[in-house]
Amino acid sequence: MKGFFFLTFILLFHLIVASPWAPALSLRKRVDLIKKTCKKTPYPDLCISSLRSHHIRSGATVHDLASMMLKLTLANATDTLSYMEALINQAEDPQLERPLDYCAELYIPVVKYTLPQAIVAFNKTQYGFAEYGVSDAGDQADTCENDFSKSKVSSPLGNRNKLVSELCDVAVAIIKMLQ
Amino acid sequence: MENSPSNTNAPYTLLPEDPFPARPLASFRRPLKVFGATVASVVFLMSLVGLIINQSPVPPAKNDHHGSDPLTSKATSFSEDAERLPTGVSEGVSAKSYPSVRDRLSYNWTNAMFSWQRTAYHFQPEKNWMNDPDGPLYYMGWYHLFYQYNPDSAVWGNITWGHAVSKDLIHWLYLPLAMVPDRWFDIGGVWTGSATLLPDGRIVMLYTGDMANSVQVQNLAYPANLSDPLLLDWVKYPDNPVIVPPAGIEYDEFRDPTTAWIGPNGTWRLLIGTKVNSTGMALIYETTNFTTYEAAPGVLHAVNGTGMWECVDFYPVSTNSSEGLETSVVGPGVKHVLKASLDDLKMDYYAIGTYDPVSDTWTPDDPEADVGIGLLVDYGRYYASKTFFDQNTGRRILWGWINETDTDYDDLAKGWASVQTIPRVVTFDNKTGSNILEWPVEEVESLRLDSTEFDDILVEAGSVVALNISSATQLDISVEFEIEGSDALEALEVPEAIIECATTQNRSTLGPFGLLVLADESLSELTPIYFHIAKSTNGSLTTLFCADETRSSKASEIFKKVYGGPVPVLNDEKFTMRLLVDHSIIESFAQGGRTVITSRVYPTEAIYGAAKLFLFNNATGVNVTASLEIWQMNSAFIHPFPLEELGGGRFSQK
Repeated sequence: MKGFFFLTFILLFHLIVASPWAPALSLRKRVDLIKKTCKKTPYPDLCISSLRSHHIRSGATVHDLASMMLKLTLANATDTLSYMEALINQAEDPQLERPLDYCAELYIPVVKYTLPQAIVAFNKTQYGFAEYGVSDAGDQADTCENDFSKSKVSSPLGNRNKLVSELCDVAVAIIKMLQ
Repeated sequence: MENSPSNTNAPYTLLPEDPFPARPLASFRRPLKVFGATVASVVFLMSLVGLIINQSPVPPAKNDHHGSDPLTSKATSFSEDAERLPTGVSEGVSAKSYPSVRDRLSYNWTNAMFSWQRTAYHFQPEKNWMNDPDGPLYYMGWYHLFYQYNPDSAVWGNITWGHAVSKDLIHWLYLPLAMVPDRWFDIGGVWTGSATLLPDGRIVMLYTGDMANSVQVQNLAYPANLSDPLLLDWVKYPDNPVIVPPAGIEYDEFRDPTTAWIGPNGTWRLLIGTKVNSTGMALIYETTNFTTYEAAPGVLHAVNGTGMWECVDFYPVSTNSSEGLETSVVGPGVKHVLKASLDDLKMDYYAIGTYDPVSDTWTPDDPEADVGIGLLVDYGRYYASKTFFDQNTGRRILWGWINETDTDYDDLAKGWASVQTIPRVVTFDNKTGSNILEWPVEEVESLRLDSTEFDDILVEAGSVVALNISSATQLDISVEFEIEGSDALEALEVPEAIIECATTQNRSTLGPFGLLVLADESLSELTPIYFHIAKSTNGSLTTLFCADETRSSKASEIFKKVYGGPVPVLNDEKFTMRLLVDHSIIESFAQGGRTVITSRVYPTEAIYGAAKLFLFNNATGVNVTASLEIWQMNSAFIHPFPLEELGGGRFSQK
């Protein structure tokens, strides 16, 4: 009698303790996919930290990672543009305002057309179009950053352009994996 | 078309002397040789006679409006070419190529020479013929260019609308044809037209349709799907044509509708060029819905003696800022540019003036420099230009078609003809107040690779200075010239004014001096781009800006002339030039774009690594110093849009 209860207890114990392993196993699989995918991009650490901080549903595929990366890129570009516009509104130094205006002109079509069109195309599996758009968005961020160095004004945008540019490179790399 | 030189370099080994020469054989051979030679001579003579007979031109049938059938015309043999009229004349448009009775004397071009002629960063289709730019616009993040295009041949004919898109006006992607001549109202050709972007987001395209009987009508087309950013598919309004030639206007001198603008009463207006006798003019049409139109009672403007006005363009410029203006803008601080492509001269003229929106008339600021008798948009090989307002960046942008100056025969051999300029920003020159400025869009600078700077190089009178750069066929050059002792210029003995650009061998005290582009080491081929200063009749100095193509190529069939015109140079200004060199095209801008010359050149030796760049000074009385910055330019890698990515099987070749 005692042996039976003991066995049951052991069995129940194992069942209760073992169950957390199931989700832990799928988490590792998800994380591994992010790691595996990001390792093949030009900026693996940025890729991993960006994707990890957003909820990736279980059963996510590389397609989902690409989709998430595109949304992140658009969000970052939109934030950067808003920041620029705020700086322009309060700018007193015309030397600083000119490159900011120039950058805003580059970012506006990116945020309004280029990245949204790339996302629409991506969702329709039109990967070439999507790649072209994201790549162009990255070029605009680079051009904005270069304009500050050319006009010898120190950029008030910090690392924002670099971030957008690198996210674009990562997004392009992940999209390429799907083709 | 390879013409390989006879191989005289193969080692020739002598056969050992035959100790027993076969004499009987030789004696048998001689009569055979004589006989063979006689037959050959007779055949040769007969073929020569036949060739001569064939060469006399056959006059075209009077009622034949089509010339060669556009649907079957392919590369023709060159005896046919010698008989053909310049393409386009029989169809009722201006001749698109200079006629050449010397077609048959084409240079022995090699494939290497021909492929060198393709440009690296100018827009041109992968092959075949292109002419006027059409309906340029910016929409949903993309710049669109449409263009007159013959999908079947490298000469004009079977005209369709080609289509390409770009995010930056430089890196273009080819798309499928936008429109083909498949309706009764454009069966003879989908000719030139312009886009109007409506405030509600719709796009209206008006274009000239050539009908089977050569009547020119205006048609309406619009995008099939405004949510498609590539605007791939176009719908032709089913009740076309929307405008037909009015009474009193010749049915085949009525074409090239402009972008529309809104008048004070809220109705739209647009212009269509025509002529009455030899007076060129712009007719006004009004509409509220773009499907029904009323001819206005008057004309916007007319100029006697200028002949047919093709590709009319009409747009506002700001006199107090460098911002471009949307086509409907009027008011203080605004002047209007009226431009026409003169059919008779194949040149683009413009004038600046004042537009009165109430009376719908335009008056030139300087009637002596009216449209067709004053300033040229570009003093070189340039035609059918058209502007559009780029609402993305707020610029007025100018496109221009650059035809070939080689022969139709050469074009058929190499498989293509024509390029577009790099798009130019147009602004009002408020320093002179009397001309526009044209400058390549700054996006072209994204092609710059590495640069070489030269400071204060002395170029003595009558000398040439080589510029040591890595390669000289894809360049963006900025150069500044100063004349030594320029404060004493007024006192110099300068001969009477030189009114026109002449070849660089015409030397005088103050010029010519400039650059030698696409020149080989021995200067056997060269294209000078230069300034030439002279004293005008009232004693002040005038400056000419010129491009001399007369020694640009050894090929004799090419049309080579000296191009150029006057350029205002203000006090304290140095003489500045910017050149975009791209294989067989050179775009040259003087004094920040006051005078522009586009050149087409086809060197046979000064190509690839053999092309060099020099400074020169052929003046007799002064030295000049030059400072330059020279950028190597990358290719724009213009290629087809990856449409297979878009799926759906919609892109079967039309």
